[in-house]
Order: sequence, then structure tokens, then C-alpha cells
Amino acid sequence: MSPAALRTLRIQLAGKRQAHLRRARQRMVVGMALFGCLTLLTGARLADLALREPVGVANAHNLWERIGPRAPIVDRNGSDLARSFEAYYLAVKPQQLIGDPAEIAEQIARIIGERDPADIQKKLSHRGKWAYVERRVMPRDAQALKALGEPGLEIGREWERVYPNGTLAAHTIGHANADGEGMAGLERQLDERLRDPDRADEPVQLSLDTRVQHVLVQELAAQMDRHSAIGGSGIVMDVRTGELIAMTSQPVFDPNAPKFGGGGEMDPRFNRATYGVYELGSTFKALTMAMAMESGVVTSMAQGYDASAPIRIGRHRIRDFHAKNRWLSVPEIFMYSSNIGTAKMALDIGPERQQSYLSQLGMLDRPTLELAERGKPLQPPRWGEASTMTISYGHGLSVTPLHLAAAYAAIVNGGVYHEPTLMKLGLDEQPEGRRVFSEATSARVNALLRLVVKNGTGRNAEAEGYRVGGKTGTAEKPKNGGYARRSLVTTFAAAFPMDDPQYVVVAMLDEPKGIKETYGYATAGWTAAPVVSRVIGRIAPLLDVAPSDTKDVDLSEMLAQVRGAKETG
Amino acid sequence: MRALRTMFSRGDRTILGRWFWTIDRPLLGMVLLLMGIGLIAVAAASPAASQRLSGANYTYADLYFLKRQVIWVAIGLPVLIAVSMLPKLWTRRLALLGTAGGLAALAALPFLGDEGTNGAVRWIIIGGSQVQPSELLKPMFIVTTAWLLAFRFDDPKVPAIPASGLLLVLIVALLMIQPDLGQTVLVSSIWVAQAFIAGLSATLLAILIAIGAVGILMAYLFVPHVTSRIDRFITGEGDNFQAERSIDAIRSGGLFGTGPGEGQAKFSLPEPHTDYIFAVIGEEFGMIACLFVAILFLAIVVRVITQLFDEDDPFVTVAAAGLAAQIGLQAFINMIVALDLLPSKGMTLPFISHGGSSFLALCIGTGMLLSLTRRSRFLTRAAEPEMRLGAT
Repeated sequence: MSPAALRTLRIQLAGKRQAHLRRARQRMVVGMALFGCLTLLTGARLADLALREPVGVANAHNLWERIGPRAPIVDRNGSDLARSFEAYYLAVKPQQLIGDPAEIAEQIARIIGERDPADIQKKLSHRGKWAYVERRVMPRDAQALKALGEPGLEIGREWERVYPNGTLAAHTIGHANADGEGMAGLERQLDERLRDPDRADEPVQLSLDTRVQHVLVQELAAQMDRHSAIGGSGIVMDVRTGELIAMTSQPVFDPNAPKFGGGGEMDPRFNRATYGVYELGSTFKALTMAMAMESGVVTSMAQGYDASAPIRIGRHRIRDFHAKNRWLSVPEIFMYSSNIGTAKMALDIGPERQQSYLSQLGMLDRPTLELAERGKPLQPPRWGEASTMTISYGHGLSVTPLHLAAAYAAIVNGGVYHEPTLMKLGLDEQPEGRRVFSEATSARVNALLRLVVKNGTGRNAEAEGYRVGGKTGTAEKPKNGGYARRSLVTTFAAAFPMDDPQYVVVAMLDEPKGIKETYGYATAGWTAAPVVSRVIGRIAPLLDVAPSDTKDVDLSEMLAQVRGAKETG
Repeated sequence: MRALRTMFSRGDRTILGRWFWTIDRPLLGMVLLLMGIGLIAVAAASPAASQRLSGANYTYADLYFLKRQVIWVAIGLPVLIAVSMLPKLWTRRLALLGTAGGLAALAALPFLGDEGTNGAVRWIIIGGSQVQPSELLKPMFIVTTAWLLAFRFDDPKVPAIPASGLLLVLIVALLMIQPDLGQTVLVSSIWVAQAFIAGLSATLLAILIAIGAVGILMAYLFVPHVTSRIDRFITGEGDNFQAERSIDAIRSGGLFGTGPGEGQAKFSLPEPHTDYIFAVIGEEFGMIACLFVAILFLAIVVRVITQLFDEDDPFVTVAAAGLAAQIGLQAFINMIVALDLLPSKGMTLPFISHGGSSFLALCIGTGMLLSLTRRSRFLTRAAEPEMRLGAT
């Protein structure tokens, strides 16, 4: 290569290199800009984090400190059902203890009492960084503990949940654990809302009325005692809105110190009102009546069915408890709680229409309610004519007492179904509901319900002046594939005042036993109906329902069809 | 007397004097500042780390990790200075040798390695201390890549990109055996950045980014340890404890921090002295200190690159840019993980996190960076290349 050519090549090469370096520099600027973006991102995120409310610095190393206050829960009149307050706790950081653990344990035991010093000492000398010694310390004791001046002891405050009414509405309210997490009931279902730091001061207002709840719990518990029942439940519902005014499940537990025991139905936390499903027996006959009238199967009270002989379905027989062994009119079927008559009526309604009505009444799905504990109804595997007949009088379909209350509310309020709710509804939140029955059907079934209390199986449910109407339901509990004669679930589903129904009251007893005063009977009329009577007698004044001697339902249309009935005004 | 007076004067012609006048002093200053911040941060994190790592059989003293960090700095800083004194040629040789040695060590890992804390084999125990070959390999590989890619500047037909790409594939394969997704992503990103500077076409760049995305997806689908980490990050479910504690620490610090020694959230941080040291800084010294650290890393990158505008040697350009990118990327990945914007990676915060081979490797890498960028600080680049050529 000549020197000149070599020189040209060099210049070309150098030129190329310079061009490439220029491109490299441009591209490095791009890289620099990317790093600039990363810095901006970091800065923005830092600002985002640092400018938020700082978390509790003092003890952020222990999980529990992150528990914020939970919003209070109050009843419809604003009185407390659940509230959070700051309690003292005592914890130890064993690695930072200076004094002799045995001696410190002694001192701590002397201050807080009721604790074994050896036990405390074990805590103080455990291998770990941090542990609670005592979760709840009285404020006065906290001062004394601080005065010990031991750097390894930590006296701090954390939020504690308190239920001032104790067991009163325990199943409904549920409880939060020591770490501030809702474990059951509303506390669990509304956990997110209750923990929301922005709404911690804003109480959640329930539809419950503490006064009504007190009455319901007291009367139900007394009756359970009297009849040695293993459980029970009671519901008071506003039929115009679906608001639950009171709801209880017995036995109860104390949400302040929930004990976990038993299992399944034997656990006191088992909610018999909304979670347990039962065959609720003849209370279903009111539903069947309403369906029959609404679907045109029954158009006149003078209609009736022959109830002189039991119906055979396979090896099963449908019989009447208060057998009259004759043709019965519609009011008589209801009044005497005839299974035979109701079953025949249900055949005329047919399985499809029966299912459709039950579904509209919410009886085939889990109830809609602000609780996690909602029982799923047990339906027959094959819903044929046999099932239709048994379901018509409350066997073969197990539902919760809440289902029943909501369905009764729809029947008596003029035919509109409202979803049950535990939240107090404001005047502008009145639910529209879903029409299931016509006003005419509703009025006729109301008269039938009133008839049962005045002249039929529900006489023990009457509350002087408050025009109670309702229906008994006595069912044998299923056991080992059959039914157990002696284990009953007795229910009384009622409404008052029947001339303008405002509230539904359901009382249910699980396995009540007969006593001398009831002549050995444990049926609903003897066990559940009196609860309803006493509850209504006491709550009606609280709920502004005025007693009256003059107002009542006109029963003449019904009584005209009841053989041997005297018109009783 | 005279010697003292002339020391570090411009007339000083000794090795030290020449080093002082040719080194990128602002860069060195920033690195020293970061190491200083590191000592303070490790001092803050040390009690938390001691408590966390103390077991039933052995308890660490509160300031154990601070003492160790002082020793690491005492080892690392002389190494950094010594490497920065190497001539360019020697730096290159060191890198080539180091790459070969590092690859061998990495390949030997599955047989010699010690299983780490989260199902990854990353360590070799040498003389009682853990050495992570992948850390030491990083700067060596960056400089080697630069050496290969520099050939493209004179003749784009040289297959420099495929050659160095092959080397990358080898390293990535060895890293994924461990598996170490974080390092893989870091090493690959730096290589792509270097290739980009060396003239990688936009199409190829797009293809490589796509391959990277697919690679991460594959790792997510087929490497259980990666799957669980990414799942936890995305769903926020399961054990997302680490990131939440980190956020708590930064939040509890607020703008100005709780003050040194006052932090409490740091005690529940995992790896407070290494992976989550940024959160400790956040808690005790506040958001403003954090921001300062982030800006310092940005400043290092900016300083290196702006200095490279006057550089005529393609090898130096690509190597220095790569080393700066390593420091910057590693720093920002660490910080962004601590801020819970990326899933946990197991990456240290350069110069600040407590020691180990990562710190030593950074000292070597930074030493190389300083050695490569040494030049007369009084000359600027000739405006037109032809002028200099004309002089020959």
C-alpha cells in the first residue's frame, strides 16, 4: 500500500470511529435520561410514602401495634354495642433486661396479682426478642410497672375491643380477636369498613334496638330454662323494611372473652337464627295458603279438602296431629293444622309453582344479610310431588329461622318481600322490595293467622290488646335417616298487630321437653307460643304499637266456614 | 519540607502525584461520600441485624456489623485506589483474567457452593467468609465486553456483538443454575446498554428486549423460587412481609427521620444491613436523606457519562459507561425494591450495604472505572479530528 493510500485509509477509519463515537455519546445521553427517570420515580415514591401519615413509630416492630381502632357499632338509637379503647399491655425484651429475672418477676406478680411469678419469670427469660407478659394491665398497675425502671420491660398501649352489653347480641355482632381482626358476625363481615382508619370515628349503626333485644333474649332464655331446651332463636323484624329489630341465638357466648368449645351445633357461637337450618314444620302452612290463593287454587274460603284418611306415599304416611277425620274447609285446615288438607292443596299448586314462590320468598338460597354465618337451605334431592306435599307443611326443606321471618314479613305486609338487613335504614333508604303476593292474598292469610291465635293452636301467643296472629310449627328432628319422636324443634311465627301488621316475631326452641304445667306437651303451642306472647306484650309499647280493644281483624268470612265456631266479635 | 510542599502540587511527578492529578476527583469524592454514608447507615442497621441474626447458640454484639464494615472499608478502599492506579492496559488484562477466573468459579459453584438462605447456591466459603463469584465477575465481564465491542467502532463488520453475546449467554446460563434472577437481569441489562452504545441497531435492541421479557416470563413459569417471589409481589398475598416492613420503616421515618438510633421499625426488617438498608436510612434519617442518596447515584452516572463526552477511546467509553451503569442500576434496583415497586431481588445498595464480596467487587469495579477515566484534566477534546490527523 502506498503511503498515500494508507493515509486515506487511516482518515477513513478515523472518520468512521469519530462517527461511531458521536453516536455512542448520543446514546449515552439516552441512558442518562433513563437514570434521571429512575431518580424521579424513586423521589416520587419516597414523597408518596413519607408524606402519608406516619405509622405508629414507638412500637412498630411488633405486629399488634399496627392495630388501629375499629369503628364503634351502635344500635338504632345510638347506644354502644361495640367500642374500641386503648388498653395497657406489658411486654418484655429479654435481651435488654438488666436486673435479675426472678426478682423482676416477683415484683411484676406483686403489682398485677393473679399471676404465678414462676410463669412470669419463664416469659422474662425466654429466648426471643419480644413477648407479651400480660396483655391487659390496669392503668394504675401500668404506672407502677413503669416505676420499676427496667429497660427490658415495655409498657405500651394497644386498641382493645369491648362489648359493653356482653352476651346480648353476641352472634350478630360477633367479635374481633386480640389482634383487631374481625372473627365472627358483623365484626368479620364488615371488617374492612370497621378497620378503615378514615372512618374510625364514624359508628356503624345497626337496625337492632337494644331494648327489644333485651326482652327477646330474656323471654327466650327463660322459656329454654323452663323446658330444658338445648338451644333457641328469636327474631323481631320490621315487616315494612326488612330491618331486624332484634335477633338472638341461644345459648350465648361472651364476645369479650369468647370460648371455643363444643363443635358444630354445640359450640355456643353457632348461630341458630341465621346459620342453623331446620325443618320448621307447620309454620310453612301459611306460605302454602298464600301460594294457593295467589295462584288461584283456592278462590273461596268455602273450598276444602277431604282429610278423613291419611295419604300414603310409598312407605310414608301423611297424618294429622289433631285429626278430625272429615272434610275440612280452608280455614279449618289452617286452624287445625291439617297436614292432609295442606298436602292436597299443595298438589293442586304443583312443584313448579311451589318452587317459584319459595324462591321468590328467598327460601331456596342463603339469606342475604350482613353476616358471614348464613345457612344454605337443604333442599330435597328430587323435588317431585311427594316433596311438594311434605314441604307444604314444613318437612323436607330446611331453612333458617331468618328465612321464615323474612317470608312471613312478605306475607303479612301486603305481599312485598324485603331482604332482611341489620343496618338501620334512613327515611330515604326505604327499600322497594319485590312483590310476591297481592294485597288481597295478604289480607286473607292475615285473617287466617289471626284465627289461629284466637281460636286455633296458637292461643297461647295472644298478647292482650296487640292483635297477634301466627302459626305454630312442631317438627321432629331428623336423626339417623328417620325422625326422632322426642327431639322436637318448635317454632311460632307471628306478626302484630294483625289489622295493620308492623312486626314479625319468630321464636324457636331446639329440643324443649314437656313439663307438668304443659301436661307433658312440648309442642309449639305450649313452648314457643308463650314466648311470642310475652315478647309482644313487652316490646309493643317500646315500638309505639298502641294496644286496642276495639280494633281487630274481621274474621267473619273465616268463621263462617268453621264448623261449630261461634262468632266471637 | 520541599517534598511535602510539592506533594499533590501540579509539579509533582511522582506516581502518587500523577495519579492525583489525572484521577476523576469529583467521582472519587462521591464514592467516598457514599462509603461514609454507608458507615453511618450500617451503624444504624447493625443493632437490628445483630438481633435478627443472633441465634440460640450465638449472639452478635450490637455494633458487630459496624465493626465489620470498618474492616471492609479498610480493605476495600486500598484495593480501589490500587486498581485505579493501574495503567489502562493492565486494567484490561486484569478484566480478561478475572472473567476467565470468575467463569471457572461460577461453573464450579454447583459442586463447591454453599446453599444460601433462599434455595440459591451463590456462595463459596473461602477462609471462613462467603465469596459470591458472580459479584466479582460483574466488573470483569463489563470491561471484557467493552474490549470486544470497541473493535466495532473501527470496523462494524467485526462480529463483536455476537462474540460478547456468547459470553453473556454462558454467564446467564451459569447464573440461572443457581438460580439468581436478579444478577441475570442486571448483567444482561448492562450488556444490552453497552451493545447499544457500541451501535446495536434499534431492531436488534427491540428483539433483545423481547427476549429478555420472554426470559423473565420463563423464569417466572419454571423457576419456583422466582414464581413465588413475583406472585407475592403481584397479588400482595402470602408472605409479603418483607416489603411491608420496609414500607413501614420508611413511613415511620417521615420527612426527617426518627433520628439516629431511634428507629424501631428497622428491628422487623429482613436483612436491615444489606438488602433493606435503604429502609433503615429512610426510618432514621428520613425521606430527604433517601432522596439525597438517590441523587448521589444519579450524579455518579451523570459525572461519568459527561466526562466520556471528551473521550476518544471507544474501549474506555464502553467500559466506563458499563461500569457506571452497573453502579447506577444496582443502586436503583435496590432502592426500588425497598420502596416495594419491584419484587425482592437480593441486590445490595452499592458502597452503602454492609460489606462482603459485593462491596469488594464494587471497589475493584470502581477502581477500574477510575483507572480507565484517568487522563490529563487540563486538555479537552480537539474539536475536529482532522486537525490532529493533519499533525501526524
